[in-house]
Amino acid sequence: MESLIIKKTKQTPEINFNAQSGVLEIKGRSIPENSFEFYTPVLSWIDQYIKKPNENTIIKVYLEYFNTSSSKFILEIFKKLQKIQNIDNKNILIEWYYDKNDEEMMETGKDYKDVTELPFEIIINE
Amino acid sequence: MSEINIYQRELDNLEQSKLFLKKRNLTSSEYRIELEKLIENYEDIVSQSKVITKISDRLQKKLDQTNEKLYNRNIQLQDTIDELTKTKISRKATTIVFIVAIILFLILESIIEPYIEKFTGFYTALFIKLGIALLIKPAEMLLEHSLLKKARKEKLIVTET
Repeated sequence: MESLIIKKTKQTPEINFNAQSGVLEIKGRSIPENSFEFYTPVLSWIDQYIKKPNENTIIKVYLEYFNTSSSKFILEIFKKLQKIQNIDNKNILIEWYYDKNDEEMMETGKDYKDVTELPFEIIINE
Repeated sequence: MSEINIYQRELDNLEQSKLFLKKRNLTSSEYRIELEKLIENYEDIVSQSKVITKISDRLQKKLDQTNEKLYNRNIQLQDTIDELTKTKISRKATTIVFIVAIILFLILESIIEPYIEKFTGFYTALFIKLGIALLIKPAEMLLEHSLLKKARKEKLIVTET
C-alpha cells in the first residue's frame, strides 16, 4: 500500500501516513474552508489501511489549531482506527503532542482520550 | 454542502432507520434489533456532540486569547513607532534651531554688531546675543510641536486612505 503524503499549507496540516512503518502523522493547523474535501482522501486511505494494518500503528498528532469541522474529522479518524484493536496481534497507539504553553491543546487531547477507546498518550512537544 | 457532508455517516444511519420504519410485517425482535442500532447511533452522536462542543469552545477561547495578545502587541508597536517619530522630529527641530541660531549669531557678529556698538554701546549687543541664546530652547519646542502636529496630520491622512 502506498503512503499518503499531503503537504502543509496555511490552512491545512501536513499528512504523512506511512503504511510500511505504520506511523501516521498529522502536523500543523487545520482550518480548511472545506474540511470534507480535505479529509475525504485521508479517511479513504485509513479505510484501506485498516484492511491490512501494520503490526504496530502509531498516530502522531501535532496540531496547533483546528476548526470545529476538523475536530469532527479527527474524531472520525480515531473511530476508524479503533477497528485495528479488534484484529489479533495488532497494536495501535495515539500520541497527542502539544506545546508546553498550549494548555488548550492538552485539554483537547484529554477530551479525545475520554471519547475514544484507544491507547492515548498526551506528550509535551519540546 | 460541507456541513452536510461531514455528517454523512450519521445521515446515512438516519435514512436507514427511516426506511426500516416504512417496512411492513416485521417481528418484535426485528424492531428490537433496529431500536438497539438506533440507540447505539444516538449515543454515538451525543458523545460526539459533547466532545466537539467542548473542543470548539476551547478553541474559541484560544482564538480570543490570541486576538487579545495581538491587540496588545499592536498597541505596544504603535507606542514604539510614536516614540521613534517623536525622537526623530525632536532631533530635526534641534538641528534646524541650532543652524538658525548660528546664522543669526554670525549675522549679528559680522554685520549688525559694529553698528550697535557704534550707536548704543557694548552691553546692547551683549543683551541681543543673550536674547538669541535664551530663545533657542522655546524656539526648538515650538518647532518640535509644529512638526509633530504635521506628522500626526499626515499619518491620519495615510490611515484614512
